[in-house]
Amino acid sequence: MTAENRVGRPSYADAAAALAGHVLEALGEGSPAHVAGFLDSCAEHVAGLGAVRLVGADVFAPQLLLGSPLETRDVDAVADAFDAFPPVHRPATREQHVMAWRDWTTTRLLTRLADGPSPAPGTAQPVADTPGDPVDVLGPAEQWQRWSVAVAQLSMLALPGADGPVVEAVSGEPLALARGTTRAVLRRDHATAARLARWVALLRDIVPLDPVALVEHLRLHAGNDARLLLDLAVARHLAKGT
Amino acid sequence: MAVDPVAGTAHEVAARAITWLHANRALGAFADNATADLDDPNSVYKPLGEAALAASLVLREGVTGGTQLRQARELLDFCWDELRRGDLLYERQLRHTMLTDPLECYAPFARAGRRHHALEEVLAHTSAVDAITELVPNRRLAVANGHRVVGIPRDDDWDALTRATWLGSTPAPWAIDWFTAYCATHTVFHLTDWGARPHGLPEHVADYLAAWLPVWVDVWAEACQWDLVGELLIVGACLPEPRVDAAEWEAFAAVQHADGLVPRDGEPVAEDPSERFRDHQHTAVVATVAGTVALSRLLGSDA
Repeated sequence: MTAENRVGRPSYADAAAALAGHVLEALGEGSPAHVAGFLDSCAEHVAGLGAVRLVGADVFAPQLLLGSPLETRDVDAVADAFDAFPPVHRPATREQHVMAWRDWTTTRLLTRLADGPSPAPGTAQPVADTPGDPVDVLGPAEQWQRWSVAVAQLSMLALPGADGPVVEAVSGEPLALARGTTRAVLRRDHATAARLARWVALLRDIVPLDPVALVEHLRLHAGNDARLLLDLAVARHLAKGT
Repeated sequence: MAVDPVAGTAHEVAARAITWLHANRALGAFADNATADLDDPNSVYKPLGEAALAASLVLREGVTGGTQLRQARELLDFCWDELRRGDLLYERQLRHTMLTDPLECYAPFARAGRRHHALEEVLAHTSAVDAITELVPNRRLAVANGHRVVGIPRDDDWDALTRATWLGSTPAPWAIDWFTAYCATHTVFHLTDWGARPHGLPEHVADYLAAWLPVWVDVWAEACQWDLVGELLIVGACLPEPRVDAAEWEAFAAVQHADGLVPRDGEPVAEDPSERFRDHQHTAVVATVAGTVALSRLLGSDA
């Protein structure tokens, strides 16, 4: 069995939940995520690397939302995770398309953040080697139910500076996003709703939903799963425009 | 100009539903001589008014075939006879001055030309002195529309009545539950007089519904709440820009039985005819109204 095939086993999922909690704490304290420190604390190093791959670009949330510095050790830690579990380059299934866009975003942000302070808005790197057409991963927006589930799976792209074709595609469909979010809340699919809340907050100027009320509703109703709380924390920062 | 194929679906649903209501109408009769003091107004009395409403709208729109128009007339007259050609409503209004249900029940009969002069005199008087019991806001709109349909002049502040409803305040679209969704549908029914006055909806309410109806239909269809889904389909058909979505209508039509029964929800349908009628008559009314108004709006918008 290759390391990649083992991603998603319970130990990786547990480690990913722990890392999400770690990032959430960092966001709360206004400090960097200390990914390397997290890996040091993992009993099983490979599981820790798998967690970094699963949490992906969200390990950069403190940098992107609060301007925290990215430490060299953390750059190396994320790079190690990609060495252990190489990025998806030629996606075929829908799941692989999702992973490919997450990987594309994470590696792109890693490169940019490792090079220095965040560029000013609108000066992000040119888009190169994208994993394909956004419609391949999102599907048609007319089918907003399925479309919004894919958008939720790509919630780690709802970060300041993580722009690109998927972000542009989602920005072009504010009503589909709002409908999918409302549907998730009504179905009490809180995990999906929290992921979509990030997009709603990111695109708050064009989406016909109040991100602050949405995040608060989810905070009060959705329990205390670390992954979900991280999505809500990111959404809260995005709603404030930070 | 070609008519949207979903018009055929809407027509079929309505035609089957009224055929079922008509065929089973005797099951909706009073068990004995009903008086103005109804022990349980929701068991027979209210459903008679709802069947009459469906029939009156089939007749008002006149878009279904000759068979359905005959069924609608016969169904309306059956209900009217059960209410002793309005005497029961008249006696009930005299006995219980503050009740609004005689007016609400009477409106579809009046719309279809079944008039009761003495009842209208009492209704005009109770209206003049505002002898109207306190009601939830969407029900208050039902009374306002009842007065409008019967032709009793009032100076109701429709904007204020609308603002008092859940829908009128256009809350966050997830701040809704099954019961509140029914409140919202009825707000639309009365503001638009069941699709006859689409512009009776304030513009911001129409925009709000256009945005969120698809979500509500989706979640309640997933929960197999077909009665509510049917009501939401009526709402779509009542919008200034009618929403008659083919996929939503196909899903609704797919649950209709061959004899025209539309199950109210996903629970098993009883074998016993009386039980079947009691459980599912409301949904047949909803399906008749939904199909009729949708078809009429589609034909109207293509004209």
